[in-house]
Amino acid sequence: MLPMLLAIGIAVFLGIRTDQFLGSENIFNLIAQAMPLIITAIGQMFVVLVGGLDLSVGSLISFTTAILALDAPGYVTIPAVFLFAALIGISNGLVITRLNVHPIIATLAMQYVILGITRILRPVSGGTVPDIVIDSIAGSFLGIPMPVFWGLLVILVAWKLLHGSRFGLHLFAIGGGVANSTPDAARNFGVADKRNILLAYVACSCFAALAGVFLAGRIVSGDPNVGLLFELDAITAVAVGGTQLSGGIGSLQGTVIGALVLALLSNGMNLTNVSPFIQTAIKGGLLLLVVGLQTRKKIGL
Amino acid sequence: MSAIVKHAFLQRLLRVPPAYLVFVILLVTLWIARPHMLNANIMGIFIRQVAPLGVLVLAQLLVMRVKSIDLSGGGIILLVNYFISSGIFPGATIPFYIGLSLATGIMIGLFNGWMIGKRRVSAVIVTLAVNIILVGFVQYLSSGKPPGDVPSYLNEIYNIKWGPVPAPVLFWFVLTVIMALFLSKTVYGRYVTAVGENPEAAHFSGVPVERTVILAHTLAGFIAAVAALVQTASIAVGSVRVGLDLPIMAVAATILGGVVFGRGEGGVWGPFFGVLSFALLFVVMTTFGIDDPGKLIAQGLIILLAATFYGMRTTKSN
Repeated sequence: MLPMLLAIGIAVFLGIRTDQFLGSENIFNLIAQAMPLIITAIGQMFVVLVGGLDLSVGSLISFTTAILALDAPGYVTIPAVFLFAALIGISNGLVITRLNVHPIIATLAMQYVILGITRILRPVSGGTVPDIVIDSIAGSFLGIPMPVFWGLLVILVAWKLLHGSRFGLHLFAIGGGVANSTPDAARNFGVADKRNILLAYVACSCFAALAGVFLAGRIVSGDPNVGLLFELDAITAVAVGGTQLSGGIGSLQGTVIGALVLALLSNGMNLTNVSPFIQTAIKGGLLLLVVGLQTRKKIGL
Repeated sequence: MSAIVKHAFLQRLLRVPPAYLVFVILLVTLWIARPHMLNANIMGIFIRQVAPLGVLVLAQLLVMRVKSIDLSGGGIILLVNYFISSGIFPGATIPFYIGLSLATGIMIGLFNGWMIGKRRVSAVIVTLAVNIILVGFVQYLSSGKPPGDVPSYLNEIYNIKWGPVPAPVLFWFVLTVIMALFLSKTVYGRYVTAVGENPEAAHFSGVPVERTVILAHTLAGFIAAVAALVQTASIAVGSVRVGLDLPIMAVAATILGGVVFGRGEGGVWGPFFGVLSFALLFVVMTTFGIDDPGKLIAQGLIILLAATFYGMRTTKSN
């Protein structure tokens, strides 16, 4: 509830303070701006629910834009993007569940590997993405801009996965055990914990790739730095939305609202001409504040 | 498979931190490919370049021994660099700069430690958030441009050499010895080991777990400030980018050296050789013409492989 009020509060404040905010152009712009973060945050939520963390999503987004901007037709690059994302998710998941590596270390290492490959593929921003990607974002259908449909579709899929399927239920079960320092709890009830955790990482990577496709359509080129610090924004959005970083507790609507709060915040700071460097610092402060309010038993990592 | 792994000799081999192995392999590679590089003066210069990393690794290994992590070192280095190079303290002397830097490091470390130890917030989140706050703050103060020059005496100290041994390397070596003695001979060192093995058991045995974690982070902030001074002396100019990738390389070197979240088998010298391996790795990669993206990939793979190496052993022992 609190994040919802926060979002409304920021929106009202901006509506009064600045003239541009309530214009329909700014609202649709805001939705398009918020969409990559919403998609990434929803993906991130899957792994946060099982008490993990995926720090590789930021560089995966850059990697996706780099692949899409390669000189190849769309029917090759678009499936390739999701194939690579799935592979990255699988290797993250395997390393974490089968080889007992801490999620943070595994995904941090993956982040560097992907960043290196992205910089080889596309050292500076440039190239052009397939027309179909650009059209699916810039166009409009029935007079409503496409990003709105993207949002609805993503939320529906995520809703089905998290709150309408056995997979989602199992994620909550595994996370609940992890948060209460009994990581075996779900497995003792017959939940295939390793497989479900692996699938959570695959889902996270695929959502990140989707965000990358959206972002590539927005900037119409590949950029090796576009996803920089995106993982932190996503984690902040998830935490603002009331999901416990220790796992087990959280909701989709919370995450979406959390991402909206962040998007409103940066939209508002842009409208009121706050320096981008200070914006980074403020987001860091917000993350610190939100996680500082959560409680958990475990000390350390 | 398991029969091979259980073999006594292999078990023994697995207990050696990968850093020593990597160091020897790289040394041999360099010896075969570019024998003329293996000269005390040239190596001294290469090793001098990683001295700031080496100092920062001491901080990282301390917090990783208590199952925590510190990624805020980059922000501390940037802030200290800004203090010294921007000229916001006109007429300041060297003791003032050193005092200010160390005090800043301690304050940031104490804050990290308080959030992690008392509030029980995830260490990764806290230190990453502190890092981006510090980086954003410094970049705002300097409007994204390099602030200015560093007083020349700092660089003169950095360039002193005794024979082939540069002063920063000796300084790093002495700090490492102090850290090794600190962890093996003091009561606090025992607390660190106990908390790393099992925080709950340590708590019930009367070890002040929270205080140990907070102190570890405070010391880590202090050491990061020392690393920042060495780094600032080494580049001799103000910068808004320097040292941003150092914390993550410190994590890599520490894991390579056999210290992984609560497991301190590598001691202090494992990570020391981890850093030396990184110095050699960059030399080898540069001589073979691999540039920055390749180095990023290598860094990632090293972290992954070293962590996997330890992860697999944990599976076996269960």
